[in-house]
Amino acid sequence: MKYELVAGFETHVELATNTKIFCSCTTEFGGEPNTHCCPICIGLPGTLPKLNKKVVEYAIRAGLATNCHIAEISKMDRKNYCYPDLPKAYQISQYDKPLCEHGYIQLSNGRKIRILRIHIEEDAGKLVHRRGDTLVDYNRGGVPLIEIVTEPDFRSVDEAREYVEKLQTIMRYIGVSDCKMQEGSMRCDVNISVRPEGSDVLGTRTEIKNMNSIAFIAKAMEYEYGRQVDLIESGEKVIQETLRYDDVSNTTSSMRGKEDANDYRYFRDPDLVTINVPRSLVEEIKESLPELPEAKKERYINELGLPESDALLLTKYRKIAEYYEKAIEGTKNPKTAANFIIGQIFRTVETESEKEQFNVSVSAENLNELIKLLDDGKIKMNLAKSTLEKMLETGGKATELIDESDMGGLDEATLNDLCKQAVDSNPKAVSDYLAGKEKAVKAMVGFVMKNSRGKADPALAEQTIIKMITG
Amino acid sequence: MVTKEEIMKIAILSKLFVADDEIDKLTEDMGEIILFADTINNAADEGSDFDNINNLSNVLREDEVVPSLEREKILQNAKDSDNGCFLVKNIMK
Repeated sequence: MKYELVAGFETHVELATNTKIFCSCTTEFGGEPNTHCCPICIGLPGTLPKLNKKVVEYAIRAGLATNCHIAEISKMDRKNYCYPDLPKAYQISQYDKPLCEHGYIQLSNGRKIRILRIHIEEDAGKLVHRRGDTLVDYNRGGVPLIEIVTEPDFRSVDEAREYVEKLQTIMRYIGVSDCKMQEGSMRCDVNISVRPEGSDVLGTRTEIKNMNSIAFIAKAMEYEYGRQVDLIESGEKVIQETLRYDDVSNTTSSMRGKEDANDYRYFRDPDLVTINVPRSLVEEIKESLPELPEAKKERYINELGLPESDALLLTKYRKIAEYYEKAIEGTKNPKTAANFIIGQIFRTVETESEKEQFNVSVSAENLNELIKLLDDGKIKMNLAKSTLEKMLETGGKATELIDESDMGGLDEATLNDLCKQAVDSNPKAVSDYLAGKEKAVKAMVGFVMKNSRGKADPALAEQTIIKMITG
Repeated sequence: MVTKEEIMKIAILSKLFVADDEIDKLTEDMGEIILFADTINNAADEGSDFDNINNLSNVLREDEVVPSLEREKILQNAKDSDNGCFLVKNIMK
């Protein structure tokens, strides 16, 4: 029998506010243990939490960018559980009145992943387990999070991967989070079940907690799918439980026994008042949203005529899209700029954060100038490419790096002269070509390009050389 | 009714020291407190909005950093600490 995978996601995204959700301590990552703490975020009795305005705004931004309805009235609730990462023995979260509900993210295969809700809550502290005891650092305690919960709409690992990437891109675009999975500012829990293909009844699900890399998520889902199918095939049952994924052994293992099934005893936090969200605020935030990656990609394809693969690469990071748009301002061929960026400039950025920042040595203005020289026919493509290499090395401007004499390409006499030299000094290439090896002409074209310092038009040089040999 | 054993258990859970001669009095007091709390069961609650009894909304803070408390003060009431961290008994088996 064939089995279908059914999965849903809960994603925690750390918001990029300056301060924590209920107190004015910094949210900065790292820092000596317990130095970003105050009586509120270590849960001392008698302290009063006060909600950070930015947290509400950022959550609404996230909701609008994922097509959610924004609640008019929202509130905070206490989720009770006893664990040392929570100094108050409860986490302040949202239960029945989340800020955002009923959104979706559309995947490239046309399927919509429905978003059930987005709520705000506080992060827990960090625990370091040693033999016999546990060290607790509350710097992260109280850092604002949004939790984005989807319906069980995923049917494949590929869909899950695309969803996480899209979510990450969107959250970065709208500036609510850096979504650095390796630093834990974006973490995913995945609910997984399997069912016979064609069935519309959901199977028993398991939940894999706290995964912080897209590769792990994919591997964990594949493993868990296989495990559940094996259980069912061998006549056993899947037990509803919380699992941990171990990336070294590529297996999942049970985190909590069944006996302590969760009862969080949610109730309204009496220390925090109702959140009213005026429609005018929602409108204001909607106005302030940048063009989202999906819309940008469509525009690049439909209006600029870029191939989808280029559009995807250029819109994945907001800074790159902004750079590209600046580079093509007032130029004639948007594809040229795309080629320069993807083909040459991308080679100088490697890591995720370098792409995110996109501080490259050629400024968008300088690239723009180079493209305009091409547009105006002052330089040929080959010279433009080699000039771009120099610009990447030196950070200089095209007009400084290209000799005035090189502008306007090569005159006919010089080209003929160089072609003749090429033919004379490459007798082997000539005989090869005449013997039917068409590629041999390339060596001679290369000679012309080299000796004209990229100024010659390679197509014209090739024609001229062929004429000389055969003519 | 509240028993002496329950009071002693609560004291241990709350990490409170309770002297032997205080237990009877505390048991009695706690019993009365719980009886008092039970009166809420008789209250008519239809149509009342207990959710937002103070009618306040949107008490919000600007996102401006204020220096945190010194670590010595944060850790001052910790039962045990190590390397600037609170130290608790292992919770993982």
